[in-house]
Amino acid sequence: MKRDSLGSRAFDALNVVIMLLIMVVVLYPILNIVATSLSGASYISSGSVTIWPKGFNLEAYTTVFHDPYIFKGYLNSIIYAAGSTGIMLLFTAMMAYPLTIPGFAGKKFLTFFLMITMFFGGGLIPTYLLMRSLNLLDTVWVMILPGAISAYNVFLFRTFFLNIPSELKDSAYIDGANDLVVLFRIILPLSKALFATFALFGLVGSWNSWFEALIYLRDQDKYPLQMVLRNYLFTLDTTAIQGRVGGGAVAVNAPGETLDPKAVRMSVIIITMFPIMCIYPFFQKHFTKGLFVGSVKG
Amino acid sequence: MKTSNNRFIARMIRHRYLYLMVLPGFLTLLIFHYFPMYGILIAFKDFNASKGIWGSEWVGFKYFLSFFNDPMAFRVLKNTLLLGLYTLFWSFPAPIILALLFNELRNKRFKKIVQTVSYFPHFISVVIVAGMLKEFTARDGLFNHIVAFFGGEPVMFLLESDFFRSIFISSGIWQGVGFGTIIYLAALSGIDPTLYDVAEVDGAGRWKKVVHITWPSLKPTTIILLIFAVGGVLGSDFQKIILLYSPETYEVADVIGSYVYRQGILGAQYEYTTAIGMFMSLISFIVLYLTNWISRKVSETSLF
Repeated sequence: MKRDSLGSRAFDALNVVIMLLIMVVVLYPILNIVATSLSGASYISSGSVTIWPKGFNLEAYTTVFHDPYIFKGYLNSIIYAAGSTGIMLLFTAMMAYPLTIPGFAGKKFLTFFLMITMFFGGGLIPTYLLMRSLNLLDTVWVMILPGAISAYNVFLFRTFFLNIPSELKDSAYIDGANDLVVLFRIILPLSKALFATFALFGLVGSWNSWFEALIYLRDQDKYPLQMVLRNYLFTLDTTAIQGRVGGGAVAVNAPGETLDPKAVRMSVIIITMFPIMCIYPFFQKHFTKGLFVGSVKG
Repeated sequence: MKTSNNRFIARMIRHRYLYLMVLPGFLTLLIFHYFPMYGILIAFKDFNASKGIWGSEWVGFKYFLSFFNDPMAFRVLKNTLLLGLYTLFWSFPAPIILALLFNELRNKRFKKIVQTVSYFPHFISVVIVAGMLKEFTARDGLFNHIVAFFGGEPVMFLLESDFFRSIFISSGIWQGVGFGTIIYLAALSGIDPTLYDVAEVDGAGRWKKVVHITWPSLKPTTIILLIFAVGGVLGSDFQKIILLYSPETYEVADVIGSYVYRQGILGAQYEYTTAIGMFMSLISFIVLYLTNWISRKVSETSLF
């Protein structure tokens, strides 16, 4: 191994500096939010909170947990995320499997039917009007059903299923199993990696979505957490927040210190982000898989 | 003829469970994707909910013409195009450069840590990103502490048109650059390592290896993603815009998507905004098609 040139080593050093900079730029805002949510009002208003809480207290969190909409939002978000992901996995698998069967009449038509949706769509307003005319506004279904099928996912599932050795299902068919049994007893158990990846992406995507709720939901009791958060961050002022969490009863923490509304807003951000932070370590090894899970191998 | 018909029907009966399986997905697509396509018809009609889409009166191109006569049309078209082009210019190359830098890191553990950290913002919701921006750009926020540190006067960043695009694009890079490297890194992992050894024997330095081995292997991926990116220039992320903009910044921030949302959903001008949406989809499709055509001529790589 020949020794590296000076230029090469200088580049390595520079590269490491760039990487450290990137980590700071990514992590600082997040740590600052965590720290602010846990800090005392006087430290926050003087702007001295960086990445470590000052005047540590949990007042902001105990305050927002008095807001019933936070709990409802959590519950709604869980229902929407679990429901939409579950239905997405089920419908997608069921639509993809027949596309792998030789001689299945209608395969060409279905492929075309799916492809069209990749290039054309009705757009925001016609979709909204459809939901309205179907009386789906302010229902759980509008949050769960419309995204259940994406042509792209169906094609990835199909390619994955095609890579499963066909001897396994052939012998099941010889034993007299029907298509449903083969899909649910043979194919799906062999597709756990596929399901794990799409389940995680589906859950995260649904958890983070808010725009559908903005246009389809009027009833605040049905708001997912992201919409509750949006109200905290963008529409509610300090008095409104205090009104929601029960007025002055909890507005005082350490002697002489009032709760900074900023800490409240930051704590709602952390509460909303918390599930994502929890699954992220397990999730991140699936990233590459998620992109290439359907690609044909060698 | 008759026997082949019988055989076809026999096959359909044998596959009856397959049709059953396809049904839920088929209906979902039909209802939630195809019905709205039919709903585009209201762009050519005076929509009356009680008469339904078909029963409403035809008005031809009335709503398309009113878009061309709308004094706001020029502003939103200009904003959409400019924001799209600036985003393309800044956000498209960023993950390629970062992937190349990742690739040059020697310490594998350090590389893994930086990658893991840099992917994270992709999983933070738009609402949180917009909320963070609002807090950090506030009068008493992080950015103004920095401004004050250098002796400047506090700036209300989100209320000044001059800053809107920079804030929008840089936060977009913050969200997406790390995750965007994944597809390029996958392309890099396909490179045969002996190529580098051979190049080394031939006396190639690191820069030469990047230029002659690494970059050429990224090129097909880059071109495909570039076609998508150019095709999507007019489809700016209006979800983030409607969280961040305000009447003070409409002048630069109001794009087609946000305008359609305001006039359509909030203002109930359904026919008019459907016409705008349809017009924009058409333009976008033409742009995608042309980009693809140019790419096929120039680089022999294309989507279709």
